[in-house]
Amino acid sequence: MLGAYIGYTVAIYTGSFFLALIIAPILVACFGIVFEKLLLSPLYKRQDGGAYLMVTFGLAVILAEAIKLTWGADPKGVQIPEMLRGIVIVFDFPFPKYRVFLIIIGVLMALSAWLFLEKTRIGLLIRAVSQNPQMVNALGTNVVFIRNLVFAIGCGLAGMGGVLAAPMVTAFLGMGSSVIIDAFVIVIIGGMGSFLGSIIGSLLVAFVLVFGAYYVPDLALAIIYLLMLIILIVRPGGLLGKEE
Amino acid sequence: MSFDLSNKKGLTRRKVLVGGAATMSVLAAPAYLRKATAATPIKIGIPTVITGGYAVLGSHVMRTAKLVEKMRNASGGVLGRPIEFIYKDTKGEPADCVRKCQELVERDDCRIFTGVVVSSEARAIMPKLEEWDAFFISHGNGDGRLTAEFYVDNFFRANTSAPMGARALALYLKDAEQKNFYAIGSDYAWGHSSVESFEAQITKVGKNMSGTVFAPVGNKDYSTYITKILQSGAEGCYVALQGDEGRAFYSQAQQYGLSDRVQMVTEIVSQANIRALGDDSVGLVGGSRYPFTYENEANKNFLSAFQAEYDGEIPDWTDGEMYQALDILFKAMENADSDETKKIVAAMEGLEVDSVKGKTLMRECDHQGENQGFVVRVSDMGGSEPVPEILKIYPREMITPDCRSTSYSS
Repeated sequence: MLGAYIGYTVAIYTGSFFLALIIAPILVACFGIVFEKLLLSPLYKRQDGGAYLMVTFGLAVILAEAIKLTWGADPKGVQIPEMLRGIVIVFDFPFPKYRVFLIIIGVLMALSAWLFLEKTRIGLLIRAVSQNPQMVNALGTNVVFIRNLVFAIGCGLAGMGGVLAAPMVTAFLGMGSSVIIDAFVIVIIGGMGSFLGSIIGSLLVAFVLVFGAYYVPDLALAIIYLLMLIILIVRPGGLLGKEE
Repeated sequence: MSFDLSNKKGLTRRKVLVGGAATMSVLAAPAYLRKATAATPIKIGIPTVITGGYAVLGSHVMRTAKLVEKMRNASGGVLGRPIEFIYKDTKGEPADCVRKCQELVERDDCRIFTGVVVSSEARAIMPKLEEWDAFFISHGNGDGRLTAEFYVDNFFRANTSAPMGARALALYLKDAEQKNFYAIGSDYAWGHSSVESFEAQITKVGKNMSGTVFAPVGNKDYSTYITKILQSGAEGCYVALQGDEGRAFYSQAQQYGLSDRVQMVTEIVSQANIRALGDDSVGLVGGSRYPFTYENEANKNFLSAFQAEYDGEIPDWTDGEMYQALDILFKAMENADSDETKKIVAAMEGLEVDSVKGKTLMRECDHQGENQGFVVRVSDMGGSEPVPEILKIYPREMITPDCRSTSYSS
């Protein structure tokens, strides 16, 4: 949500959507770094998942109110750049150029994230920290920096998602909360801690939503939860996750 | 042991003075109390959406209430008493709305409600009104059934309902070139009521319905629905989506080129949506519950006060309807010379007010406000943002459904 609003402001002042697409994620990432340093890092020693949940939820509420005070309650429209306006014809049906752009960006970002996590040294360290931070720390790696970096990247990607979503749904209060449930379902279906699982989960959820809305619109939302339920029964750890 | 309790002394001068002072105090007490009552504010509960998907509508409700509070209290209040609005966040959830209203009654001793945003919230509190001895006037709840099958004595609707908006639009489209229509609505009370009314009205004027679909509340991706509309071959599309959903749909319809192929029509044209969509909204035809461009004395006064208070901003339909509902409420209270529920109900029945939308009659038989019907087109009039241009105004008798009904016999 913050990304969408910052993107809106940058687009208004600079007249460039692409500049907004660069600046907003950087600013949101910086915000993420500060938040992680000030509020999350003191909680790491407590090993209490509930504390993270409460702090991040509290921040989301404060952030929503801060956005309301800064930008007002009315929604903000972000215009698509001229070169991404219009349609292409796919199987005799119009398909917006902007959605083609979103698909390309989505694939590129997923591929980049996968390469970063799987093929770089820092990606290896991130995976190691997620599994055993004490051991990584004992081996001389700066775990604090790794955690800060991961949080910044996550916030930056969320910021980019906000900027990209704004022309489709406009920037509005509460746009972040509507994504949380979908993200939760995707991670559960894909399996906690599995990057590939999340990608498969997101594609599955998207397919079920689209086909559900087409063939059984009244049950479109229920079907994704049904899918999650079936997967949890068959594979309690998710499609590619490990059972605890 | 015994005590002598008898008063052996006769009346003294001191006793007469004390007794006189006490008597004077008792006699003077009602006047004193009356004075305290006059200074006691009339509390009006606004259980509205402050956070959540409909927060924009709630923010409009509150800004107009704040303006009205300022204006009214500056001119002596209502019944010689100041008015005080108490805001509660319902988040757009019926259960929360009931809980907040209960709080208003029990904690704040407040028994007049308005500003409820979502029809299902209104539906949830209506059966409790009698138990609470509370009065509720709707400023914007559209579900036609609220003054039909769900009718209760203590509820009034000042605003244009969903069937009324659909009726105005159907009458306008009667002579339009489009023959086939598709309807998309939000999957909750108002969306269903609006689509069903439109379907009934548009077929009555000789047009066809190619299909209807309801999108889940909070839906953000309309690509599947747009594909269905394109496949249906409809020439017109009726849209009963509000707030975030409405904006998402119009944005995506524009991106798919749907707006170029199909005439979009909607029950409610909203300025907040127009502002967010910019030029993408130009050409949209729809009903308007409150077109700020309507010219009469009451609207002129409201518009100038609103724009002076909010830096020249254009009031949205929620602002206009909230102002109208409060205006009607205060007139009823003044006529009743009371803020008691039963007396307000009696004064409200048959009340006619020169409102910001013309003359509005609060019908006795079902407590529905008879409003004129407006059909507008979003146009670029050279201002800072596109605005609704009034295409047609239908008399209130043509627009208001049969008594305690959502349909029309004529």
